Amino acid sequence: MSFEELEHTADVLMRVRGATINEIFADAGRAMFHVMYGPCEDRSIERQISLEADDLESLLIDYLSELLFITDVENIVFCTFDVDVRGTRLVAALRGEPFDPARHSAGTLIKGISYFGLEIVKDEETYVVEIIFDI
Amino acid sequence: MLEGINKIGDLEWEVPIGYVPNMRVPGRFFLSRALAETLEEGAVRQLANVATLPGIVKHSLAMPDIHWGYGFPIGGVAAFDMTEGVISPGGVGFDINCGVRLITTPLTEADLAGKKRELIERLFAVVPTGVGSKSALRVSNKELTGVMVDGARWAVERGFGTEADLARCEGEGAIPGADPEAVSAKARQRGVPQLGTLGAGNHFLEVQVAREIVDPEAAKVFEVAEGQVCFMVHCGSRGFGHQIATDHLRTLESALARYGIHLPDRQLACAPIDSPEGRAYYGGMVCAANYAWANRQVIMHEAKKVFAQLFGIDYDEMRLIYDVAHNVAKFERHDIDGASTEVCVHRKGATRAFGPGAPGIPREYAAVGQPVIIPGSMGTSSYLLHGTTTAMQKTWGSTCHGSGRVLSRSKAKKEVRGKELRERLAGEGILVRAHSDSALAEEAPKVYKPSREVVRVVHEAGLSDIVARLEPLGVIKG
Repeated sequence: MSFEELEHTADVLMRVRGATINEIFADAGRAMFHVMYGPCEDRSIERQISLEADDLESLLIDYLSELLFITDVENIVFCTFDVDVRGTRLVAALRGEPFDPARHSAGTLIKGISYFGLEIVKDEETYVVEIIFDI
Repeated sequence: MLEGINKIGDLEWEVPIGYVPNMRVPGRFFLSRALAETLEEGAVRQLANVATLPGIVKHSLAMPDIHWGYGFPIGGVAAFDMTEGVISPGGVGFDINCGVRLITTPLTEADLAGKKRELIERLFAVVPTGVGSKSALRVSNKELTGVMVDGARWAVERGFGTEADLARCEGEGAIPGADPEAVSAKARQRGVPQLGTLGAGNHFLEVQVAREIVDPEAAKVFEVAEGQVCFMVHCGSRGFGHQIATDHLRTLESALARYGIHLPDRQLACAPIDSPEGRAYYGGMVCAANYAWANRQVIMHEAKKVFAQLFGIDYDEMRLIYDVAHNVAKFERHDIDGASTEVCVHRKGATRAFGPGAPGIPREYAAVGQPVIIPGSMGTSSYLLHGTTTAMQKTWGSTCHGSGRVLSRSKAKKEVRGKELRERLAGEGILVRAHSDSALAEEAPKVYKPSREVVRVVHEAGLSDIVARLEPLGVIKG
């Protein structure tokens, strides 16, 4: 389970690796919240989401876009992501804490998730995806 | 310069058909040799990808602040035939109608002496900034519909500013054709608490001084004089616009097969202009664009009140020069082979720069062309320019929008310490106020191409002419 930030001049480009598709989705969420808020703690705020899309890449974009929506309107910073992907459907259980300007202001606002270059591929034993976050 | 690109003028380059498969027209961009060193192949490829879209007219264009984005390159401009052509959120971006406005005050730099810190602190207190910021202004869902339809006018009618402000906004602060039905409940939920907020990233409110007047006659028309204190507001449609872009991108992406459109990049998802999906995107995008004009109007009004209280000047002594959009798609009439023709012009990180006598610019500016406002990066000069006839002929009346990044966020964070940057700028007399120092590092001057070089290129290429150079005195950021 991991994510790393790659060089990109205009936006934020993240490479996410995982042994399973579920891990890819969980770490993509973690990567996004890391960019937006920096460190976060689990303080027992929970949300659950269910989504369905045309294909896996669209499902990943819809899932990240949904997380952006929730954090924007409910001011929740998520830190744990338990995602169950089946085909092109998912159910995700998310846990986190209320947004606190004193601790969560080190990051960058993400405006959207780009389709550009977004492809989930299998590299030997791990899945890899590169995601551009528009900042 | 990269291989496969032809020089066709001093500052003009052509990307020939065939650079990527299925291009319908050539690409053209404007760049000096100095700026060419930082040109990314990915940006040129994106410029070429735009040339594959159905109904594109003449050229896929890019301004000298061209850089690698998603969908269109940043700095990209393209016009589409109203019948054969498409409309694409990839040619607008997530931050619909991100834009800039410039306001003059009757103050000089000397008037700020001893009060600059207080000015910046008070501005920071009244204008919500940063991730998670919410507005003191509470609008109802019904009022939000009014914002979507009427834009800056909604704000003026609510007491945020004056009627005179409207004439000095691009399109009088609203695009016709808003379709509130094309705005999701989610977008509304995000839009309600964020009207009147600056946001984060490269958005700012900056106090500036007109340091150098380059074109005295145009400066007289725009009513700006050397030594005059001004302020500039740079922001967009906030989460409201981001959600509208996200929603419609998804719909358009799913509809591609139905229209037989094959794309080299899914982010270029589009639909015919006069299709149900195309009309819905346009109607939703207009709602976001109008929200952004209302947003900048509210922020300007709050900032003007701070200046009035702190310096004992009249509210009406502060004058909006102009407000420009730099992420938008609009239906405009342009001369094509001698005939005035309506086209859908996409500008993504590009500013409208209509020349003298062009329709839709304020009467008092008709003789010189519309004001063009180019913000510099933090700590560097911004510019006031005017539109030109050359821009009307070559770029659908468009010019650059800023300086363009050259250093990634991750490199910036490694190379720049936010605290040191803030202290260094303070040493130069530029006060910076933000929620966190680490966010400052990402917006450090060295992260961007020098704004003076980008502006020099548009000036020498004739796409817009420099009127004045503005230097920063203090800034509030997200």
